[in-house]
Amino acid sequence: MKKIFVLTLLLVSAISLVAFNQAPETLNYKCMIQLTNYEGEGAYFVVSVIDKEDNYIETLYVQGDDAEWYRDLSAWWKNLYGIKRPTLDGIVGETVTGGQRKMTILKIPTDKIDTGYKLRFESAVEDHEYYVDDVEFDLTTANLASKKEGKGYIRYIRMIQQ
Amino acid sequence: MTISIWRYSHLVLALSSGLFLILAALTGVILAFEPLQSAIKPYHPVDLKEVSLAETIGVLQNQYDEVLTLKVDQDDFIIADIVTKQGDSKQVYVHPLTGEALGEPEEQHPIFKFSTNLHRSLFLKSIGRFFVGLISFLLCLIAFTGLLLIIKRQGGLAKLFSKVQKDYFELRYHVILGRWFLFPIILIAATGTYLSAEKFSLLPIALVTHTMAEPEVDVDERVKPSELAIFKTIKMADVRTVNFPFSPFPEDYFEVSLRKKELYVHQYTGDILSELPYPFTFLASKMSFRLHTGQGSILWSLVLLLASCSILFFIYSGFMMWRNRIKNSITKVEFTKDESTHIILYGSETGNTNGFVLALQKALIKNGKRVFIAPMNTYSTYKQAEKLFVLTSTYGEGEAPTNARRFLEKLHTINQPNKINYAVIGFGSLNYPKYCQFAKDVSHALKNHPSFNETTALTEINNQSHDAFINWVNQWNSKVGEELKVSSYLPKNKTGKQLEFEVSYHSEINTDNTFLIQLKPKKKIKFNSGDLLAYRPNNDDVPRFYSIAKCGNQILLSIKIHDFGICSRLFSRLNAGDTIEASIQKNTHFNFPAQAKSILCISNGTGIAPFLGLIDENKNKIPIQLFWGSRTKASYTIYKPFLMEPLTNGKLQKIHLAYSRESEKQYVQDLLLQQEEFIATALKNGTVIMICGSLAMQHKVLQVLEKATQTYLNESLATFEENEQLKTDCY
Repeated sequence: MKKIFVLTLLLVSAISLVAFNQAPETLNYKCMIQLTNYEGEGAYFVVSVIDKEDNYIETLYVQGDDAEWYRDLSAWWKNLYGIKRPTLDGIVGETVTGGQRKMTILKIPTDKIDTGYKLRFESAVEDHEYYVDDVEFDLTTANLASKKEGKGYIRYIRMIQQ
Repeated sequence: MTISIWRYSHLVLALSSGLFLILAALTGVILAFEPLQSAIKPYHPVDLKEVSLAETIGVLQNQYDEVLTLKVDQDDFIIADIVTKQGDSKQVYVHPLTGEALGEPEEQHPIFKFSTNLHRSLFLKSIGRFFVGLISFLLCLIAFTGLLLIIKRQGGLAKLFSKVQKDYFELRYHVILGRWFLFPIILIAATGTYLSAEKFSLLPIALVTHTMAEPEVDVDERVKPSELAIFKTIKMADVRTVNFPFSPFPEDYFEVSLRKKELYVHQYTGDILSELPYPFTFLASKMSFRLHTGQGSILWSLVLLLASCSILFFIYSGFMMWRNRIKNSITKVEFTKDESTHIILYGSETGNTNGFVLALQKALIKNGKRVFIAPMNTYSTYKQAEKLFVLTSTYGEGEAPTNARRFLEKLHTINQPNKINYAVIGFGSLNYPKYCQFAKDVSHALKNHPSFNETTALTEINNQSHDAFINWVNQWNSKVGEELKVSSYLPKNKTGKQLEFEVSYHSEINTDNTFLIQLKPKKKIKFNSGDLLAYRPNNDDVPRFYSIAKCGNQILLSIKIHDFGICSRLFSRLNAGDTIEASIQKNTHFNFPAQAKSILCISNGTGIAPFLGLIDENKNKIPIQLFWGSRTKASYTIYKPFLMEPLTNGKLQKIHLAYSRESEKQYVQDLLLQQEEFIATALKNGTVIMICGSLAMQHKVLQVLEKATQTYLNESLATFEENEQLKTDCY
């Protein structure tokens, strides 16, 4: 009887361990991206978690649903999407054009916050320039609560924990 | 060959963009199904005109943890970005009154995705887009030049929808479908061009830039958005998108995009912080998109579908017309104008008469003549000319074809060194009031010109009749003592499949050399009264056509024996049980008019044949009256058995007979003259008049009818003709 109990306990902890590994805990951040008044098509951009050496760890959000143009987001394409083709289910949104804003929910893995990772917004517009780090900042709790200015098509982003 | 600048442009544009247009039209056909498929989804439970923005915002905020944006799409579905109470962020279709999730947006089907890409950019991104834009601009020009050509052809804008001249299938339907589909096609092409031009910043940009008042911060933050007066006045039907405030701080506000303007609204007071109307370019762009894709309208998507299909047909038929014209175009000039003794001048808009021109040229060359051949516009002096032939069609409302327009003017300014013997042959269709008008004008001008002598009188050729042309050649031969033979050079008429028939009945031969013959098809075939039986005594011969009466499932023909008629004599010698081979040619314009409330059949001689069948086919027993003229009473005897029964069972109301050599010595038109008022009233009430018999009779009958409608209705007969109330099949 005892044996069974121990076995069950082991099994349960094993399962929960596996489950925990598979779906790391995330925090919902509401994110607003305000674009500048640029002229041209809807902006494509991708929000990624990268490490100190700029290695792509995870893709949080992709704006633009026509994969034809993903190649234009060249750093992301070369280092991640072009090689691994990760599934983008549930994290793709429609593009918006100059002057508009976009709101979305980013699920940020808690273990990447305040542990030396960065959040990168890179952006591209058809037949226009590409910005590898339109917005980029250290993934810290303080940064996630402030407004960040962009260099390219993004005028600023704001984040707020849900 | 001279062709007008419009036709030339139409052709060059079409040839240069044809392949891409095929691609665009094919993908367009596929893409037309996308809005159809999306519009039928059940995400539109209530009329959005009845729901206020406040109601929808209220239910959504109750139902979900957080609402980021909502959007009303082209099908009036509401899509919202929401966070559920469980913390999942999602995009869902929502019910505007309950906030309940109705479904999730699906990804575009791969077929549509592929087609969209191909249609928009040929998979070549920006270069492809530019190219597609250019092609749609060319399509605009093609459609526009096409419209001009049709207007010209039909004789003016007002007559755009009048009857289309008889011609071969591709040409005829290029015109018939053209006038219906040109408008949607112009719209598709123009919106397509607009959408492309927009992509390349060729148009003023459609951005709206707000300058905003500072939101008041000292406010009561307990007010809910659904309580704001402004949201209560806005109907969901008027909403494009709503961006909810980013945070509950009063600095953050609602961004509301309505049909015609964009508003920033304070989230607690409802004050309008900024309001900007959308510029025209923005609205034009949205409109172009909807018109081009058909999104949001099932009916318009169907129109787009048909228009895309029609483009494919136009490409096919246009290509066939072009091939036809090349095949028929006359390029062989064997002698110069000053060496030649025989000059052939032609005037033709579509190149259809060129077969006759070439046949005449070949026949003359065969007989050792020096022949010069040129369009009428190039009329000039001819140093050694003896004979002149003018072969011309008439265009539009009795005008000259493009390549003959300057002929009459030149005729008066150019002096010929010799006297020339001329003949004028006009080509046209008797279905038109201005039949051979230009040929008549030319003939008249030559007759009054001191340098010319007439050989044969003006010859008018109806519907490209080979027989009529051969007749003229024979006439000319006897006048000038030549022996031209053109028949083997004439373009072969296409004939249908040869079928076998068994002779089942052969009447005695009447006093005026006519007889009836009944043929039973050996296989089951489909045909109607008024169709034509084409018979060729030898395979190379031009077929002879007989108008068919359908009696039961058999063919009844009425044939007059001509002294030199190969076919008629051959038929007269057939006996019951014999087998012959012939083909059937559809002649739908002379079939039983399905919509007619009553019919007047007018005929003389063997022209009665199709009516014998038509009366037999009158199952609904609508009133039919038959007018028939012949020489003697005896001529009637062979037809009588076929008309007695219909007269008693109601299929035929009345027969009016005219005999030109007996009793009152009347012609059929004289019978009509006595009943002018009755006929005019009948026409007014929608009666269909069908005429079959000799051309001479047809002319006289039309004169009587014209007079009747003018006198009693104050209308031209043409009005009824355009209304398809007048059908003729004469020879």
